[in-house]
Amino acid sequence: MDLVLQLLFTGIGIGAVYALVALGFVLIFRATNVVNFAQGEFSMVAAYLMVVFSVDLGWPYWLSFLLSLAGMALLGVIFNLGVYYPLRHRSFLPVIIATIGASILMANSVLAIYGPQPQVLQGWFDTPGIQLGPVYLDSQYLLIIAVTIALVIFNYWFFEHTMLGKKLQATSQDKEMASLLGISVSTMIMLTFIYSAVLGGLAGILVAPVLFVSIQMGSTIALKAFAATIIGGFGDVTGAIIGGLALGVIETFGAAYISVPYKDGFAFLVLILFLVFRPQGIFGERVAEKA
Amino acid sequence: MSAPSDNMPITVSAGRAKPLLLRHLPYFICAAVLVALAAGMQFDGYVLNILMQATTFSIAVFGLSVVLGLCGQINLAQAAFFGFGAYAVGIGTTDLHLNYWLCLVAGCVIALAAGAFLGMSTLRLGGHYLAMVTISFQQIVTLVMINDIALTHGPDGVSNIGRPALFQTSQGYLAFCVAMLAIVGYLVWHLPDTRLGRAMRAVRDNELAAGVNGIDVLRTKVYAFALCAALGGLAGGLFAGGFAYVSPDQFAFADSIVFLTMSLLGGVASPIGSAIGTGLLILIPEWLRFLKSVPGLYLAIYGLFVILIIRFMPDGIWGFVNAAFARWCAKAKAPAPSAALKLMPATVGGDIVLDVKGLSKYFGGLKAVDGVDIQVKRGGVHALIGPNGSGKTTTLNVLSGLYRATSGKILLDGTDITNMPPHQRTAAGLGRTFQNIRLFRSMTALENVEIGAERPGNTMIGEGGSAALTERALEALNFVGLGSRANELISSFSYGHQRLIEIARALAANPTLLLLDEPAAGLNSTEKLELHELLKRIAAQGLTILIIDHDMTLVSEAAQHITVLNFGRRIADGESMAVLRHPDVVSAYLGTE
Amino acid sequence: MKLTRRDFAAGMAAGIVAPHIITRARAQGATVKIGMCAPVTGPAAESGGYAIKGAKLALDTVNKAGGILGKQAELIVEDDQTTNPGIVLAFSKLAAQPDIVGFIGSIRSTQVHAIAPDVLKLGKPVMIGGTDPNLTHMGNQWLFRCRPNDSYSGRVIAEYGASTLGKKKWAVLHSTDAFGTAGGKALTEALTKLGVAPVLDQGYANQSQDFTPVVLAIKQSGADVLGSYFTFENDLGIFARQLRQLGVNIPWVGSPSITDVTALKLAGPALYNTYGVADYAEDSTEASKAFANAYHDAYKVVADGQSSWTYDAINVLAQGINKAGSTEPGKIREAILAIKKFPGAEGEYNFDQNGDGLHGYNVVKNEKGSIVFDKHIEFTD
Repeated sequence: MDLVLQLLFTGIGIGAVYALVALGFVLIFRATNVVNFAQGEFSMVAAYLMVVFSVDLGWPYWLSFLLSLAGMALLGVIFNLGVYYPLRHRSFLPVIIATIGASILMANSVLAIYGPQPQVLQGWFDTPGIQLGPVYLDSQYLLIIAVTIALVIFNYWFFEHTMLGKKLQATSQDKEMASLLGISVSTMIMLTFIYSAVLGGLAGILVAPVLFVSIQMGSTIALKAFAATIIGGFGDVTGAIIGGLALGVIETFGAAYISVPYKDGFAFLVLILFLVFRPQGIFGERVAEKA
Repeated sequence: MSAPSDNMPITVSAGRAKPLLLRHLPYFICAAVLVALAAGMQFDGYVLNILMQATTFSIAVFGLSVVLGLCGQINLAQAAFFGFGAYAVGIGTTDLHLNYWLCLVAGCVIALAAGAFLGMSTLRLGGHYLAMVTISFQQIVTLVMINDIALTHGPDGVSNIGRPALFQTSQGYLAFCVAMLAIVGYLVWHLPDTRLGRAMRAVRDNELAAGVNGIDVLRTKVYAFALCAALGGLAGGLFAGGFAYVSPDQFAFADSIVFLTMSLLGGVASPIGSAIGTGLLILIPEWLRFLKSVPGLYLAIYGLFVILIIRFMPDGIWGFVNAAFARWCAKAKAPAPSAALKLMPATVGGDIVLDVKGLSKYFGGLKAVDGVDIQVKRGGVHALIGPNGSGKTTTLNVLSGLYRATSGKILLDGTDITNMPPHQRTAAGLGRTFQNIRLFRSMTALENVEIGAERPGNTMIGEGGSAALTERALEALNFVGLGSRANELISSFSYGHQRLIEIARALAANPTLLLLDEPAAGLNSTEKLELHELLKRIAAQGLTILIIDHDMTLVSEAAQHITVLNFGRRIADGESMAVLRHPDVVSAYLGTE
Repeated sequence: MKLTRRDFAAGMAAGIVAPHIITRARAQGATVKIGMCAPVTGPAAESGGYAIKGAKLALDTVNKAGGILGKQAELIVEDDQTTNPGIVLAFSKLAAQPDIVGFIGSIRSTQVHAIAPDVLKLGKPVMIGGTDPNLTHMGNQWLFRCRPNDSYSGRVIAEYGASTLGKKKWAVLHSTDAFGTAGGKALTEALTKLGVAPVLDQGYANQSQDFTPVVLAIKQSGADVLGSYFTFENDLGIFARQLRQLGVNIPWVGSPSITDVTALKLAGPALYNTYGVADYAEDSTEASKAFANAYHDAYKVVADGQSSWTYDAINVLAQGINKAGSTEPGKIREAILAIKKFPGAEGEYNFDQNGDGLHGYNVVKNEKGSIVFDKHIEFTD
């Protein structure tokens, strides 16, 4: 039982990371109908920004945190203008490939600047964790879980109860209709990219103290987050969160009780099973039939 | 490039002539010279390795040009299929002591089966899902290659892989690979002109239109995917023999991306582009070594180039060159005039061609169509009208199979087609056009109509040979008055003419019933007159037409029988003039006050 | 600034052609040439840089002492891109130059496997650093190893843990890549020979983000000592932290990566009091100290295992050719195999008939973050 509880905590913790990144995917997908294959690199870049500000420059943690998120917002703008916007009238395929190109570009630019050695980033708290009975709770994972819950609530409030959120919703559902209502579609898409980059960055900064800051950190998480998105149902915010958490738990228990070396395979196996038997995901609607 | 169906658009060489051995002799001579060079010239080991890599990779990239270029589907697991072939030859010739040829074939078959399985399970989902599934598949294959040590030797890889006795020397083997490249290249080059190739292009350009024109969309995609995988397997098998060593890190996700980039750089549409892209992406890294002193810099530039190529050279280098070349060349000659189009609708059933009983279609709580009955008499023009939102187009979509009926029955010539997918309905004799025109935009008018003519069960094309198809398609184009422009691309036609081509495409299939969805929409008054004339000529040949339109003039003049819908229900049905004077109809159109 | 398609095409064409012209200049001279495949690019680019530095340092020493057969020695480096196809290309490029007399291969075993068929075909000596024991036991007489192979690291870990620390219940943890699998196997075999078969033999995939299941498995197995083969430092760091967090404090003897500078930085206190085997330890011999000083003087960085073996490889190769008195491959091979009691940075070289030069490892201890030499364990069989 102790074992199960410990695994459950870790699974939820790592799942919350997937969920955060998955959230960024879903937002962009809903707004633009494009899967952003560079989402994981957002997390990686943010973690490196954090290293630059708080470790290399020695600035206070909170300031570095805000600056890194601001940097991510800027990256979101650049990404939108450089990768998505010029291709917005083309089909999804060129856009997917361009985002793959962008992910290669980002990962290797950071590699060229920072070298391949992983970096250390301190966590928010000085205490590494607390022992709760038989279970050890890593403080950084606790923080990640808390932030995920807070974001779910924030997203609900933002998209359902603010004018900007509603405009974003309207844009993602029907661009033509939205523009007839006087909403600037390109501004809304720009905002979506900014928000999504910041979310991805937040995930990266939060997870960096646990996984260290490395070039590969983004791509490994992103692939899992993709899977989480599909398991939850593409285009559904709650689905992405549940999908991420479920995947983290499945993976951890799979590793403990089935096979450690194949740990990464479970995510993809579950994904393929879902695609074959329930492509709409847990929460998603039927893949739309359009005439 | 702003066409609505911009799935990796390609330039089509105007007027594809039919395969002629004589015409292609230069290709085979060139290929033979290359093979002889590969066998005879003295290369040092380095050049040999580069050539071997370029040759085998090219074959794998040919696969991508089929699935991505021809069929518009993404495959991010080509390295995994490549790996299947490589490991089949690797493990087969070393551990199992099997014959090389047997292993090579086995590798292709395994890759083919895996590709077909993957395709069948996920291709109906399309786009992003396919991208995700292929990535997942790639990851799992890599994990198995690394961890299933008993089978694959794990990360150590398989060494001392054998070659066929006939090609023991490196140069001999290279020559063999070049020969294979030439053969595969020839087949891939000519694939677009075959029935399967046309179907793939149709699916890429517009899945819906492909479906209602008698193409089994899913099967076409699965074929394309399996073919791509098999070519990957073949390439992998050749690669394993060439390098005598394989290990899991050669078949990772990153390598799938490299294959994809090779394909994009050269141009997804043609094997020549694939070969160019592959060659460049193997050579450029060799030339750009100096950039590599800073780790990451080279790949960063690589990533940037991917974005730039997509942005500025959507058709790749070869597409770019081709387009420039095409501007220099004059337009292709107009084809010879043909015989008059004959429409011979099947007449097996009774007096009623289309019998719709109690048809309903609900979207959630919304009853878009609610218990509608329609009887279309043979040989007449029947109109379905109603105000906006009355359920007309939904009815048509249920009839042609794009929507599944919630309840009710549809009989075409006595055959129950209620639960058939679109392509089977087409085979059963249903033809249709769309309100917003759906043509295959990267093809010529003739090719579009040929796809229509290829309808399974079309009795007007004899054995279905390509000459008969072209003949039939030309007849149909002449019938609508556009025969002289048969070899022009769709994009060069006016809106009204595109509508005529769509009708010609439906006519070429010699349907039993022709559904026309608002054929007059967006036409000017002259074009409307032409359309009216055309409908008369079609009706004169005895083909039954079900027309849906707002245009009362057209409907009242062309149709003998009218059914009126409002709020998803039938409110009137009968002879034209009587129906149009029906009080319910008048109030539905004009309001009750 | 509006970039048109035409501009882009022109730019691309220029970009493709220009570097090709630049690379067309290469000098020829009356030197003895040694080829080297090293990761100038790719994931291992940084360690590749150290390897080249080590080789160049040795080359300078050799040339100052009169060179090879009276001529100056020259090093020609080709980038292996840290990949298997990369090294195949790099090696074939070097092999195509007939005046190269010997080669420095790779520290990565899979890469050595990848070029092994070509090496056999070429028939010239290649000095390697890959530690998969099989490399020198598969009938390829042209591979000479300048690092102790993993059967020795496994035996040293087993010997140290079982005899010196006196622990009998072993947990063996290894990555599932080539390095980890071979190492884990060697350790398990060595333990079984000592009569203490491990209670847990656990593999993990590289770049795992979480080791909780692994740590819990170790905890449940009741092991009182841990032997490990980690490939990547970040995996090691995450594992070490989680191991300590979940309250496992058993002695731990790890493969060389446990003493790596990056690993020490990432894991911090979690690695205190662990033991590691190291092929290179600065304080182990006089020759090691001398190398460390010379390296530091030349490059102002601390020497490590990435540079020490290439340093030795050049020295051994030069000595072999000089002893042979000729550049004929067969004679060089005989001369290298005859090298005994040669003091290298990595330890004392005594080549056996398989081509293995070293037969033991140093054991070092992590004392509050600094690596301290503990003892050297040598095997004669």
